[in-house]
This record gives sequence, structure tokens and C-alpha cells, in this order.
Amino acid sequence: MANAETIHAASSKGLSRKKKWFSYSVLFILPSFILYTLFVIYPTLNSINLSFTSWDGVSDKIHYIGLDNFVEMFHSERVYNALKNTLILSVSLVVLENVVALLLAVLVDQVRWFKSLFRSVFYFPVLLSGIVMGFVWTIIFNFNFGVISQLLDRMGLGDWKIDWLGDPNYALLAIIITTVWKGSGYYMIIYLAGLQGIPPELNEAASIDGANSWQKFRHITFPLLAGAMTVSVMLSMIGALKIFDQIAVMTDGGPGFATETLTYIVYKVGFGELRQGYGTAMSMVLFVLILIVSLIQIKLLKKREVQM
Amino acid sequence: MDKAKFRIEIIMFIAAVILAVLFFFPVFFSIISAFKTNGEILKNAIAFPSKLYLDSFKYLLTETDFPRAMLNSLILTVVSIACMIAIIPMAAYAIERTGKKWTSYVYVYFLAGMMIPFQVYMIPLFKEMKTIGLYGTLTAPILIYISGSVGMGVLLYTSFIKGIPVEIEEAAAIDGCSRVRTFWQIVFPLLGPCTASMVVLQGLGIWNDFLMPSLILHSDQKTLIVEVFKFVGELASRWDLVFAGTTMSIVPVLVAFIALQKYFVKGIAAGATKG
Repeated sequence: MANAETIHAASSKGLSRKKKWFSYSVLFILPSFILYTLFVIYPTLNSINLSFTSWDGVSDKIHYIGLDNFVEMFHSERVYNALKNTLILSVSLVVLENVVALLLAVLVDQVRWFKSLFRSVFYFPVLLSGIVMGFVWTIIFNFNFGVISQLLDRMGLGDWKIDWLGDPNYALLAIIITTVWKGSGYYMIIYLAGLQGIPPELNEAASIDGANSWQKFRHITFPLLAGAMTVSVMLSMIGALKIFDQIAVMTDGGPGFATETLTYIVYKVGFGELRQGYGTAMSMVLFVLILIVSLIQIKLLKKREVQM
Repeated sequence: MDKAKFRIEIIMFIAAVILAVLFFFPVFFSIISAFKTNGEILKNAIAFPSKLYLDSFKYLLTETDFPRAMLNSLILTVVSIACMIAIIPMAAYAIERTGKKWTSYVYVYFLAGMMIPFQVYMIPLFKEMKTIGLYGTLTAPILIYISGSVGMGVLLYTSFIKGIPVEIEEAAAIDGCSRVRTFWQIVFPLLGPCTASMVVLQGLGIWNDFLMPSLILHSDQKTLIVEVFKFVGELASRWDLVFAGTTMSIVPVLVAFIALQKYFVKGIAAGATKG
């Protein structure tokens, strides 16, 4: 009853009610605000600071070395190599994951039997850890006893065997195959939601007008999936820039530096070589890349909203 | 005409079956290999186990830190999610219902976090954790998971709360219900589907996380995934043991997926289109 009285008293005085509302809002937001500020924003700002130091990650003394880390970075072959690998990985993953996801989505949408079983099977790898599945694929790719090699041997095609993870020419491809297998189901769900949003009348009308399946896909389905595609392409791009687990377990960046990406080099330099100042400097480049992709995404989505 | 249509349907079905076999094979391979001896895997990787060989599981459960690691993963996942649900919906509710200029700034501030990759702030974060003395404890990853989920969580919950009519809350206020009670007893139960998405999305992320727990936890407190990674390094030639480990990490996810399938699919779709 005390509550009823306070509410009543408060509503009779508009100002104090407003004040009360304000203090409740602050109270509700505060826990999230404090944690987020302490453990996301503060360390992010601090990383800008650390990127100008030669800190090793262990010692108490931190030396400021100005722009040295950045200068070293722009002269480092290894960094350019990592950038190149990141670029190859991102472009091929964006293209392959989206093509495979679209194919799977159309298939699941159209197939007549066991629709939901197929959807679940294509989607399940998304739920698994990159470390765990990276290991399983390591064994599949293994040169001597791997599944692919055993199959080729049995078919009498032993000469075709490839040392996937040991050959610098194929290691990145092996990572790409594993990631496409693991990631496509996620984007399939996005496309599937898009497909199910297309009114069936459009396709029926086109059929009456004599359009074949390909024409219907090309002129109805595909343009209407543009929204889902924008989301999916941007998410797969950000996902590709952040890829880590598969590389850690399958190649550790090797052979040589063949599969070292920007994300991976930050980890290797920071924790493997104990050069955390240099590592944070590199992570700034990663940050800028992801920021650019995110901002483009927001812009594209806003534009679509206006059009709709 | 009908015959042609039927033929297309058959072709599509066969294509789907082939793709499904390809997609399921690695999971199947991992599970059957866990029940084989090392020799059997090396000799014939694709064959079914000749007899149910359980020694790998026995070894993992008795001779290694695996049970402890499973418990750690469970603790991290459950506690982090419980804390997220305790604070994030509340913040989203205040932001959405207050609708003032300052709350919209707070909203943008929270959302900005979604654009910051973990690698960007991990090194200073570990330094910070060392300074406050939490480095190496289970509390540190829990705090990091909660903080890291604020952006996505606020986004999901605010967009969901928008769709809930204010009238219910107003009626509750007139009946003398305090704001805290209004939120927990009236609004929060209506957020069920959103909470389910959140639990599934974040739960999976935490269960499968590797980088952060591998760096911040001491060696006697590893999580399941970190332990599996350790096996890959230490037991490189004992595939049977590693496969038993991978299988034990896959099975809980598989069971949860089969039991809560609709939340998994909807949760991920919601997270993707909103995020």
C-alpha cells in the first residue's frame, strides 16, 4: 500500500514523479553501463595508448616510442603478407559462403521432402566450435592417413593426394573450405528468411505469363533478396576479418606465414613473441578495417530502409 | 507437365541428400572415430567401428582434467548468461521507455561496442584484469562476457520492447506497482522469445569460445574447448583420444539443438537481421 501512496503523491506533483522516473532509469541502466565502460570502452581507448609503446606484456615499465610501431608495421613484409592473406580470405569467403548459402536456401525452400531435416543438417556446423571442427578437418585433410587421402588411395588415384595443410599453396584453401562448410548455414538462415518473405503471388503471376524457373529466380527472387544479401555479405565480411579458431588449430599461421592473417598476427606478436605494444598497433589496423565495413553496412541498410 | 515437375523435384531431393551427406560427414566422422582404436582410424577412417571401444572416454574422464574443464565451461556459460539476463533487459527497458535525448546517447554508446572486435581491446583488457587482481580467475571471463554482450543485447531487447504496448505498464503503475516490480513481474515475462534468442546466441558463443579463456585462465582451470586444443598439441598422435574429446564437446550442443531447435533458428535469424 505504501507504494500506491507514493505513486499517488508523486503523480500529484508532476515534477517529483519525473525525477523519480529519471532516477529509476539511471538505476536500470547503471550496471550495464559500468561493466561495458570498464571492460570494453576503457581497454579500447587504452589500446590506442599502448600502440605507441614497446610494452612486452609482462614488465611494469612501459616505454613510449612514438610512431615506431606503425613505422615498423608499414615496412614489414610479414604484415603485408598477413594483409594479403586477409584480403584473399575475405573475398573468397564472402563470395563462396554467400553462393553456397543462397543455393542451400533455395534448395531447402523448394525441396519437397524432409525440409526441416535438411535445414537442420546444413545449419548444424554453425553451432560447433571452430577449434573442434578445425581439428576434425585437420584429420580429413591429413596427407598420410586423412579421409581424402584414404579415399583417393582406394580409388587408385594416390598420385592426386595433396598435403593440404603442409603445402603453402593449399593451406589457405583448406582453411577456406573448412570455413565455408562451417559458416554457410548461418547465411542460409538469413536468405531463407528473405525467401519466405516473398509473396507467392508474384511467382504465380509470372508462371501464368510463361516465365521459366530461371527467369523467375533472376527477375523476382533475386532482386527481392537484396536486403538479405546486404546483411549476409556484410556479416560474412566481418566474420572473415575476425576468423581465428580454425587457423589456430589447423595451421598456426603456417606453413611459414602462408595462413597468417591480421587477426592471427596480432595474437602471435602479442602473446607468442611478447611484443604487446606492437600487437596493439596492428590491432588498430584491424579495427579501422572492421569500422569501415560496419559503417558501409549501416549506410547501405539505411538507404534500403528509405527505399522501402 | 506434371511428370517434368516431378522429375525436378526428384533431382532437387537428390542434390539435397548429397549436400546433406557432405555437411554432416565431419560430425559423423568425429563421432564414429571416438569409438575406434587409433589403429582403426589410421587404417580405415570412414568405416564404422568394429566394436564399441570406450577406453578413450574412460581415459579422458579419469586420467585428464577433462571433467573439471567441462564443469568450468558449464559454470562460465550459466553464470554469465544469468548475469546478462539480470542486467541487460533492464537497461534496454529504461532506454526504450524513457525515450529522452540522454537515453538515445546511451543507446548509441552501447551499440558502438558491437563494432569493436575483441582482438582490438584484449591486450589492454588483460593488463587491466591483472591490475585489479582478477587475471586467472573464473570471474574475469564472466565479466568480459557480460560486458561484451551489452551492445548486442541492448539492440535485441530495445527492438523487442518497442513492440510491447505501454498501456499494460501504465495500468500497473496506477494499481500501485513499483517500477522495479512492473519490470520484473509484467514486462520481463513478455520478453520470453527475446530472452530465448539471447540465451541461445550467447550460450553458444561462450561454450565455444577459445581465444579469451585460453589466454586468461590458469592451466588448472581450462574450459572444454581449451582442453581439446591442448589435446591436439599434446596428444598429436593419439587421434582416438582427441576424437573422444571433440565428441564430448559436440554432443551437448547436438542435444540442445534437437531439444530447442526453433529457438536456435529463430534466435540466430533475429540476431543476424537486427545486428
